[in-house]
Amino acid sequence: MFLNNTYNEFIKIAAKPRSYIGLIALSVLIGVIIFAMKADGSTYISFVTASFEQTLSFSGDIMNGNLIAFIILQMLIVHIPLLVALVTGDLISGEANMGTIRMLASKPISRTQIILSKFLAGALYTLLLTIWLGFLSLYVARWIFGTGDLMVLTSDGLIIHPESDVEWRYIYGFLTAYLSLLTVSTLSICLSAFAENSIGPIVTTMAIIILFTIIGSMDVTVFDSIKPYLFTTHMAAWRSYFEDPVPWDAINESIRILIYHNVILVAIALFQFNRKDITS
Amino acid sequence: MKKVLLFLSFLLVGNLLFAQQSQVLSALVGKLNTVKDYTVDARIVAAVPMIKIKEVNATFYFKQKDKFKVDTKGIAVLPKQGFTDLNKFIANASNYMSIESAGKVISGVNTVLVTVIPTNDNQDVILAKLWIDPKKTIIMSSQVTTKSSGLMTVNYAYSDQLKYGLPSSLVFEIDVKKFKMPKSVAANIHQTDKSSENDGKDKKGKITVHLTNYRVNKGLSDEIFK
Repeated sequence: MFLNNTYNEFIKIAAKPRSYIGLIALSVLIGVIIFAMKADGSTYISFVTASFEQTLSFSGDIMNGNLIAFIILQMLIVHIPLLVALVTGDLISGEANMGTIRMLASKPISRTQIILSKFLAGALYTLLLTIWLGFLSLYVARWIFGTGDLMVLTSDGLIIHPESDVEWRYIYGFLTAYLSLLTVSTLSICLSAFAENSIGPIVTTMAIIILFTIIGSMDVTVFDSIKPYLFTTHMAAWRSYFEDPVPWDAINESIRILIYHNVILVAIALFQFNRKDITS
Repeated sequence: MKKVLLFLSFLLVGNLLFAQQSQVLSALVGKLNTVKDYTVDARIVAAVPMIKIKEVNATFYFKQKDKFKVDTKGIAVLPKQGFTDLNKFIANASNYMSIESAGKVISGVNTVLVTVIPTNDNQDVILAKLWIDPKKTIIMSSQVTTKSSGLMTVNYAYSDQLKYGLPSSLVFEIDVKKFKMPKSVAANIHQTDKSSENDGKDKKGKITVHLTNYRVNKGLSDEIFK
């Protein structure tokens, strides 16, 4: 029954036009970035390498699919949460708004299973979005630009990864990026359990992300103690796989904190939905 | 009359200076000019501050006078100047004056120091010092100061291409100027030590290029350099 309900929830997501906004928006955004890089990528590259070019020259194909994928991920990972929340923020509150939540609760399935199936459907949608992002940014970019060594700019300088050393970094990077987006999905579903309309949880999710991002980017000591616990601090953890050496301890810490967020948010949503009065 | 004599004496001294060229350097230029073209396999090991890169294999192509191409499958970091610029500069004796003096001992070889000074301001080279093995007529070490790249020291080693004066390895020592990383693209969530970013001082970098399998004067097409 739980799996059937999850399937039904996923069908509901697939039936909503707004679910395709994310996929279309991703396709358009990535298309625009690829077009821009194809047209004038050398300017972007010179922006990265300008500091070194007084004494050094870079030979070889810098502007390749691997670099384009990195640029796309870096640019879009901040905006994709909105596309996720647009769909997942509506999963419970949308039912409450339309009045179908009572019918849902009348099924021979516990409220806990109802909410868990919604989380699972939301996770599947987020996974689909991440896979689409990965396919477009990595494989389409490689198809257009070719493959090659990856030049990454970090605050410690330039790191050039050999082509053979890139694939696993992207696999782990996308998995960690998925965990970040899953946290956004879980947050919006959790907020959705408290709301009676669709817009509230979506806007609140984005407001929280913006607030946490601003707190995280402010160099003020008063926030230093809370920064490590904000999930937005760890949403860029995917980048760490492209450092050399890879800071595994820091990545594991980020993964742990993101998982804690997911568990706590699911628990809050379960608690709220189980005691929610849906009769009135 | 005095002014005319003064002018003539300046002219004479100037002409003498222009005519002054190191015999060792002339012999070296003659030797280098016997190389019309070459292809060589290169292994590049770069140890440059703020750049992490693994060893890269490449192929270098050279054709007189100044055609040079690096062909590599991946990304290679090389000095901006140093492969053909010095040879191109010293090939034209009218561009400079050179003075010989006693050099230092490099790898057990008593070298001759040839100081090369450009004779016009249009040259990128400000000053070049070449430590030359006078017996084998090969450059053992060079120190070139340019307007665009600053000071660059190159140490040479030779094996099978001595007769052409082509090295088997080059070690470039370069000054890496202070630079700032653009924060918008260089955010690092796990970095806590802000002092490691850049201390604002110039740093030394070293790029070693191992050259093997020379194919000299085999006749390279101009198409390769396009």
